[in-house]
Amino acid sequence: MIDSEKQPEIKRVEITVNGKTVQARTDKPLIHACLQAESEVPHYCYHPGLTPVGSCRICQVEVQQGKMPARVMVACRTPVAAGMVVDTESKGAHDSRKECLEFLLKNHPLDCPICDKAGECTLQDYSFAEGQGEGRSVEPRRKLEKRKDLGDVIMLDQERCILCSRCVRFMEEVPETPQLCVAGRGSHSIIETWNNQPLSGNYQGNLADVCPVGALTLKSFRFKARVWNLTKTASSCGECSRGCSTTVEVLRAGEIVRIRPRHDEEVNKWWMCDTGRFALDHFAEVDRLVGACMPSATRGWDQSPVEDGLQVAADMLMAAEKPLIVASPWLTVEEGTELLTLGRQLNGRVAFVSPAQNELADDLLHTGDPAPNRRGLTDLGFEALSPEEILSAASEHSSILCIGERVASLLGEDGFNSLPSATRVLLFDCALPAPQEGGNSPIDLAIGLATSAERAGHWVNIDGIRRPILQARPAPTGVWNTVRLLQNLLGLLATREIQS
Amino acid sequence: MVVVQRRELTFWERMYLPEIVRGLVITFKKMFEPRVTRQYPEQAMPTTEVTRGQPRLAVKDDGNIACVSCGLCEAACPAYAITIDGQETDRFIEREPERFDIDMLRCILCGFCEEACPKEAIFMSNELELANTTREGLVYDMEQLKRSTSTLQPRIDYVRKINDRW
Repeated sequence: MIDSEKQPEIKRVEITVNGKTVQARTDKPLIHACLQAESEVPHYCYHPGLTPVGSCRICQVEVQQGKMPARVMVACRTPVAAGMVVDTESKGAHDSRKECLEFLLKNHPLDCPICDKAGECTLQDYSFAEGQGEGRSVEPRRKLEKRKDLGDVIMLDQERCILCSRCVRFMEEVPETPQLCVAGRGSHSIIETWNNQPLSGNYQGNLADVCPVGALTLKSFRFKARVWNLTKTASSCGECSRGCSTTVEVLRAGEIVRIRPRHDEEVNKWWMCDTGRFALDHFAEVDRLVGACMPSATRGWDQSPVEDGLQVAADMLMAAEKPLIVASPWLTVEEGTELLTLGRQLNGRVAFVSPAQNELADDLLHTGDPAPNRRGLTDLGFEALSPEEILSAASEHSSILCIGERVASLLGEDGFNSLPSATRVLLFDCALPAPQEGGNSPIDLAIGLATSAERAGHWVNIDGIRRPILQARPAPTGVWNTVRLLQNLLGLLATREIQS
Repeated sequence: MVVVQRRELTFWERMYLPEIVRGLVITFKKMFEPRVTRQYPEQAMPTTEVTRGQPRLAVKDDGNIACVSCGLCEAACPAYAITIDGQETDRFIEREPERFDIDMLRCILCGFCEEACPKEAIFMSNELELANTTREGLVYDMEQLKRSTSTLQPRIDYVRKINDRW
């Protein structure tokens, strides 16, 4: 569970950073105050979420305290004291950082053209900003293993490693499953797993994020895209009710190639689990339900535009006595509000599918509840029903409208087949249901919806924190988002009521 | 309205025939001078290493493409003509292009790709001709772009010479 640490009071002292006065927290190192004052201080081993160790020595700044002459010191291991005068841009600090950078680059291979980190690598950035054009070293670079397999998620390139030990500390401090270590001494140090065992756990993906260089990379992202070609959109993860803040990265307005955590102090801090990070299959373009589909006389589906499908849907819903309206827990608050309006208009029973707890729950982030907007829908007044309860309730209704991402899969593969054949089933989902042999499909109408990467809205997570999802890429042609679909359906129903 | 003032013709000009003869003298004189017109498709313009023709990808002597799909030419291209997707290989340099497309209709032959390339993999060849009946046919893929290093050698030497200047 991520709780903000119980700190009764945060002590602050006044210090000066580059002529700017800041109220610096005494429980944080000096670099925190420098970054807070918007002074850029290069840092590799310092990560705000991990214990500072001061191993890379790049964050050197000039500090003057009292009557002592100004000294250059590492900002990540210096506690703040009242009256400090910090200069991050002094000649002394620059020179020390430059020398330090030269040593860091001494054994770093010139891999930038093939490195996945290139473009978001701070070593690259600071080398460009402050480093020298050419190395002076005449000795050859260290030759180490370039493709070390660290399990299913991570690939290690030992040559690129600058031994900042962020990965070691991450594994020790965040999931608290120490698996990595710095083996060897001095210039023979390398990052290794114990006995070369593969990494395990549900938080390995974060290693690629904490690594400041391209040493630890994601296997799934390996050589897939250059980072400057990615369009990044702030969003939220939909794999559990934690709803971690994420960045969805899309290559050329098409494929989602990477999902990364976004710093959110209240929800997920800097981390996210691998379940959410690698849940890219749900956004794949295959088997998408596009437009409106009705079962054809033979095996398969008859396609029609969404507008025509909505007319059919309106007819079916008008004819229904008291329809059961089943929402997916992936529905946003905005869509839930529209659906409640529809429920009132049709005098139907409105519920959402409440999937069973899965075994992925842990103490850190994953809640084990695969319903991202459970809290939001419950607060709106939706009934939470398990898939079995929904199917047994559905047999009492003449028609059932299932709406939202993954709602069909939540109800189970044979869910609709178990219903009485007289029940009309309207399915608004992202994925195309499997066609039935001989045209006796239980589904009477299916209309495609946009996935959570293709629409905008809000989810409320398990702690009641409201977080946005944003449109990361355009929906396929002929696919509407849920709000537009529901508003059009409401319009059609209103027209029909007036006419009748 | 503009009134055009024409020059009055002289007596000899009004006689007509002497002017015809004068013109024919020029014509016959030109017949015996060296010709400057080039019969283009049959006689192509000679190219040098400075000729900045269409970009082509260098294939090294071991048969592997020199490109590592770093994407710098794609980023440098002002016309967004280049699209690259990378993939992993077993070779020492772990990355190679899976797809390397240049839309020749977009390419403006500026040579920025050649300048940006850190791997001596893309060069402005001496190929100048470009014709097809469809737009799709002019989006060249990797196989159409591959040229052996020996073909591109004069240009490679020239680019090295230019880069050594600074």
